[in-house]
Amino acid sequence: MVSPILLIAVPLGLAFITPLLGLARKGAPRYVPAVAMLFNLLVSVSLLPDALRAPIVVRTAGWAPPFSIHLVAGPLGLLLSSLIALIGLLVAVYGMDYIREGATTRYHVLSILILVGATGVVLTGDVFNLFVFFEILCISSYALVAYWGDSASVEAGAKYLIQGAIGSSFVLIGIGLLYGAFGALSMADIAANVSSVSSFRLFVSLAFLITGFGVEAAVFPLNAWLPDAHSSAPSSISAILSGIAIKAGIYAVARVVYTIYGAQSILPFVALLSVATLLIGEMCAFSQNDIKRLLAYSSIGQMGLIVFGLAMASATGVSAALFVVISHALAKALLFLASGYMILRTGSREVSSLNGMGTRMPLTSLCFTVGAFSLVGLPPFVGFASKFMIVRAALETADTFFVVLLAIALIGTVIEGAYFLRIVQGLYFKPAPQQAREETRKEPPLSALVPVGVLAALIVAVGLYPGLVERALGAAANDLLDRDSYVQNVMGD
Amino acid sequence: MVTRIIQLLLSPLIALAVGVLFLGLSRKIIARIHRRYGPPLYQPVIDVIRMMSQRSISHGSLFELGVVLALAGSLVTVLFIPLGGTVICRQNPLAHGVLCPLSSSGGLLVVMYLMLFGPLGLALGAGDSANPNASIGVSRKLLLALAYEVPFLLVILAVMSHYRTISITEIVARQQESGWGVLSVPLSAVAAFLILPAMLGIRPFDLVSAPQEIASGPLAEYGGSYLALLAVQKGVHLFVVIALYVDLFLGGGVNLATFLVKMLVVFVAAEMIAAVLPRIRIESAVRFCWKWPTALALLQMAITVLSKSV
Amino acid sequence: MGAGAILTVALAGAGLSYPLGLLSAKVRNVFATAVSALLVCLVAAAYGRSGEHVYYSGFLGLDLILRTDALAWFFAITVSLVGCLSVVFSLRYVRGREKVSFYYFALLLVNAAMLGIVFSGDLLSFFIFWEVMSWAAYLLISYNRGRALYAGLKYIVMSIIGSCAMLVGLLSLYAAHDTLVISELAERIGSRGTGFLLGVLVAFSIGFGIKSAMVPLHTWLPDAHSEAPSPFSAVLSGILIKMGIYGFVLVMYALVGLKLLLGLRGAWVSFNSVLCWLGAIGILIPTFIAVLQTDAKRLLAWSSIGQIGYIILGMGFATSLGLTGALFHTFNHAVFKALLFLAVGAVEYRTGGVRDLNELGGLIKRMPVTFACALVGGLGLIGVPLTSGFVSKWLIYKTLIAEGHPFLALAALVGTWGAILYVYKLLHNMFLGQLPEKYAHLEAAPFTMRLPLVVCGSIIILFGILPGIPLGAVGPIVGSLGLEPVQATLTGFGPQVGPLNMVSIFAAAALAVLAVLLVLRASAAPRRVAQEDSYAAGSPVPAGRYHHTVRFYDPLEGATIGYLRDWADEFYTRVAGGARGGFDGLRRIYTGDVRNYVMYIVCLLAFLIFVQMVWHIW
Repeated sequence: MVSPILLIAVPLGLAFITPLLGLARKGAPRYVPAVAMLFNLLVSVSLLPDALRAPIVVRTAGWAPPFSIHLVAGPLGLLLSSLIALIGLLVAVYGMDYIREGATTRYHVLSILILVGATGVVLTGDVFNLFVFFEILCISSYALVAYWGDSASVEAGAKYLIQGAIGSSFVLIGIGLLYGAFGALSMADIAANVSSVSSFRLFVSLAFLITGFGVEAAVFPLNAWLPDAHSSAPSSISAILSGIAIKAGIYAVARVVYTIYGAQSILPFVALLSVATLLIGEMCAFSQNDIKRLLAYSSIGQMGLIVFGLAMASATGVSAALFVVISHALAKALLFLASGYMILRTGSREVSSLNGMGTRMPLTSLCFTVGAFSLVGLPPFVGFASKFMIVRAALETADTFFVVLLAIALIGTVIEGAYFLRIVQGLYFKPAPQQAREETRKEPPLSALVPVGVLAALIVAVGLYPGLVERALGAAANDLLDRDSYVQNVMGD
Repeated sequence: MVTRIIQLLLSPLIALAVGVLFLGLSRKIIARIHRRYGPPLYQPVIDVIRMMSQRSISHGSLFELGVVLALAGSLVTVLFIPLGGTVICRQNPLAHGVLCPLSSSGGLLVVMYLMLFGPLGLALGAGDSANPNASIGVSRKLLLALAYEVPFLLVILAVMSHYRTISITEIVARQQESGWGVLSVPLSAVAAFLILPAMLGIRPFDLVSAPQEIASGPLAEYGGSYLALLAVQKGVHLFVVIALYVDLFLGGGVNLATFLVKMLVVFVAAEMIAAVLPRIRIESAVRFCWKWPTALALLQMAITVLSKSV
Repeated sequence: MGAGAILTVALAGAGLSYPLGLLSAKVRNVFATAVSALLVCLVAAAYGRSGEHVYYSGFLGLDLILRTDALAWFFAITVSLVGCLSVVFSLRYVRGREKVSFYYFALLLVNAAMLGIVFSGDLLSFFIFWEVMSWAAYLLISYNRGRALYAGLKYIVMSIIGSCAMLVGLLSLYAAHDTLVISELAERIGSRGTGFLLGVLVAFSIGFGIKSAMVPLHTWLPDAHSEAPSPFSAVLSGILIKMGIYGFVLVMYALVGLKLLLGLRGAWVSFNSVLCWLGAIGILIPTFIAVLQTDAKRLLAWSSIGQIGYIILGMGFATSLGLTGALFHTFNHAVFKALLFLAVGAVEYRTGGVRDLNELGGLIKRMPVTFACALVGGLGLIGVPLTSGFVSKWLIYKTLIAEGHPFLALAALVGTWGAILYVYKLLHNMFLGQLPEKYAHLEAAPFTMRLPLVVCGSIIILFGILPGIPLGAVGPIVGSLGLEPVQATLTGFGPQVGPLNMVSIFAAAALAVLAVLLVLRASAAPRRVAQEDSYAAGSPVPAGRYHHTVRFYDPLEGATIGYLRDWADEFYTRVAGGARGGFDGLRRIYTGDVRNYVMYIVCLLAFLIFVQMVWHIW
């Protein structure tokens, strides 16, 4: 059996030799991310069945927890790492041709690093490494947001950097407080002892961690960096940021709240925040004219939905939230990738410049439509299944509080429907802008068409057969909710 | 079976004869009120015969069919209205001498719908000519119909609710048992009487076929046999409306003779009032119909509903 | 053939029509027609069957079930019939336009989804097909571009609101009873108290009300029906809005059941009575708004809202008479409204897209068959005896009177008289009167357009004279919903219901017409003249346009136009506008100044700690 540690080690190694490969052959670096992610995808998926039976705990340097650095490849971790690898692979393929200008080698290195960071975050078993991987993720994304190097993207990158740095320092403070209290960094170890110490100081550390990770998780009001960053980055990076990076943030928050602290009682408060996030995201997206900002705001809205599901603290709620993680990752990555070439084609990020794309780039438009329908939650696409699960979970709590919040959240989905379906109308039924009337049909290169098509196919396939992921979802939800068995699994006997 | 066939033939003929005579009577009454001698009672008969022999123009098949539809519709309506006779067995009124060949089909609701055929046929026929006067006349006709239908429907509904049935023979039978409708639903009777001129299209509601303004409106293009048939249709329609009034409020008739006498009384009363009034505009007609008759009918209906629910 | 086969054919037909269109337009057209005709046959062959089977087990932990029964069959035959006619009509209508393959794909998909809805044996598949129908319809409504985009967006937004409400309703049922299978739910439903039941019913009613354009949830309809391509307007008005009715019947009668339903009442109101009153309002106001319209399709759209009012009114009374009337009227309205939309579509096709009632006229001379069919459809809409519309309306009126609701009956009857006004306006302004010079050489509608019209017209007349045929299919439905089926004979009703014999009315009318025709035959034959040869009181007939169409019912229009505004629509538009403004204002929280953003982060931290200090949430 391969060790989960390869999921981090191999891509990391590949990332560092990429510049060397670039020296050897000019075109080589652009294939490296794809190779790395293909490897990760195969490994993650092959490990998943084992992890569903029992989490795979990897101890480094022969030390046993709580003292060692260890990875916990549980169902949740491997599910997310498979997702990361899948999206990463598709984006990497997309990036081969999409990234032509600028420091391309560095782009490829950094894009691997983002993905390694995200993989590390979901697999690590101790808080400090959580922080380290988190930083790898964040720092590479700061750099990539500013990749185009024009003033807007540099400004966005700088803003992101400032807020991200504050978040990171909060995380560090939180970890420091935890270490002071328990003298340990292993999540399982802290979790086992957390009930013994219940003090205000502990809550302060929790508050720091939530706020710190919350910045990356794009929870309201910590998400102000997101629209700028996601819209200024190259579309392939936007896809990763929206599809994966913020999910890593969510994962970190969920781990902290559920596993480390077992702080179920603050969840109603989190639920309130989540619905606020959702509504504000959708409302801001509603009259947005910039397609990428619109998609970014819509990501905020979907984050709200995910957090809402998580905040229900029930198995159905958490698995629903994880389902939204998957459906949103697929759909949003698809939308960013598809709109990437549309923007390249028209040279404008105005929503109206997409008008008439249905005849100019029919396949891309079709896939875009599939993604948009999925996000709105229309069957038979995967978004419907995830929305259905969220609603079901909320109603199964039989708690008036959640039912009311659900009603508000559904208003958000109505708004989402309004703006996405307006774009779809534009694609097919609005005349193209004057200068583009003469243009003939021209699809993006195969390296873009294939990832986009695969994503669309996945959206339909998982939408029709949610059973494909359902079992993993249940186990992953359990992984998050069942603290005792987590502790037991990691600490061993 | 034989009686039924005889009745089927008899009642339209009665309607034709009485209707056309009523037209003549109408002219006579107006003339007398105007201190003129007036034409003889049978003048409409002469007119019809004369016109039948004249040749008409035609604007198309619908132009011709419209007239057929109007007259046939009015004649069919007659078959659903009891024209006197005592109801003994309600299950089969026919067997006991009620002159109403198709009483067993649909009741008052069917009558209301069949009464549509007249105006509708005329409207379609007249519409087929490209004469704007005809169109304006039809527009007025339909509006006027809407205007008087509101109180008329209220009246009918009040009666139907009062007797809890939609069958006219049943309504007649109940009146013969327990007093006339004019006593049990008096406000409805008054309201119906007020809109009678509008339903008959006589003064002051003769604005549909006003000769001076819109060249007789829907009739503008018609001549010869078509005009004759339309005149007959007017007579039959008159008969239907008055007969319905007698059936709903005056207890029908013990036999045909008393029925016709009651009709005569109602008609003369309506005509006397109408004759002294000038023609009014369509807006005023609508306003009138939706004011007093509607208010009275509404009041009666409210009373009926309340008294039934208590 | 079971429901599974029918659905497979329908969905495969939709899916294949697009790729076939890329190969050859002709093959696609033949294929689409064949599939839709095959569906009619398959559904017809399934008459009288009943049964359930699981076709997909374990979708999100639930079994998806198809079921066939009398109710499903009745709606399925309506759907497949109107669907087939609209495909046939489309053959010429969309020829030579853009995205024709897409058009057929979406049209067949809407039909397939509707068949899916009616054959669904559990609420989840019901909902899935419902949503597929919604988005496919949205794509088709937007097909005409221009104003159609607004209509399509309005439709889909309202539709999403409705489906959110439905989703909440059906998942509440799931949370309470742990199943979504209709037959199982029907057994367990009563266990949770009336308050819960009422909440669920209201949630469903919002969904169904929006789809069936029940006042005050109707506001998408006038835009969508008038802007959609005409064959699809026929589908929209004919069957798509009936899916809401199907939903109402399914949930109210099949799921909740009569006994519980009638228990949902307070001192003064009950669930049913609210529905009835909404139906009555839905008859009155839209009918008179329809009278004011100058766009033929908009007029018909408003008329659809009015006719839905009749159906809701009949359905709201939980009596066998009312339900029979409502179901029969559902079918009738599907047929005659499809006919009228297709007739307007034929005129639109020949005149190059004109449907303004003030620009047409005299087309009876050029398109006599279209006119004759439209006339039959219009008479059916009014409910003139000898058309099928009469029988269904008669049943509804009779229910209202028998149940002692004369005020509701008044609304229904006045609505009918309003219908006379707008039907005549439609027929007169398009087909009667002066034929404008530019249309003097118009061709008659092509055969594939006339065929659906004639079929619809024949159905209206046939079922008007022999209402027993469709009522034979309605009877078992009413029986299966726990009511005593209405005793219908082939020709009408026996004395138990209140006698009605359409054949005797038909015979009497035929005799009367014959008699009058004989008299006419005996008199002098008329002389045909040209349209200019008309009486103008001695002065010459003016050149140019003199057809009386503008403000046809002038005094009425003048008096009512101020009151007959679409209050609901204005309200929603205002809310939407206000919300939009609010959203824009809200966006200002993202000031673009990173100092503010940092402040937000610190504020949240401080707030969290503050909350803990004060309330000790953990």
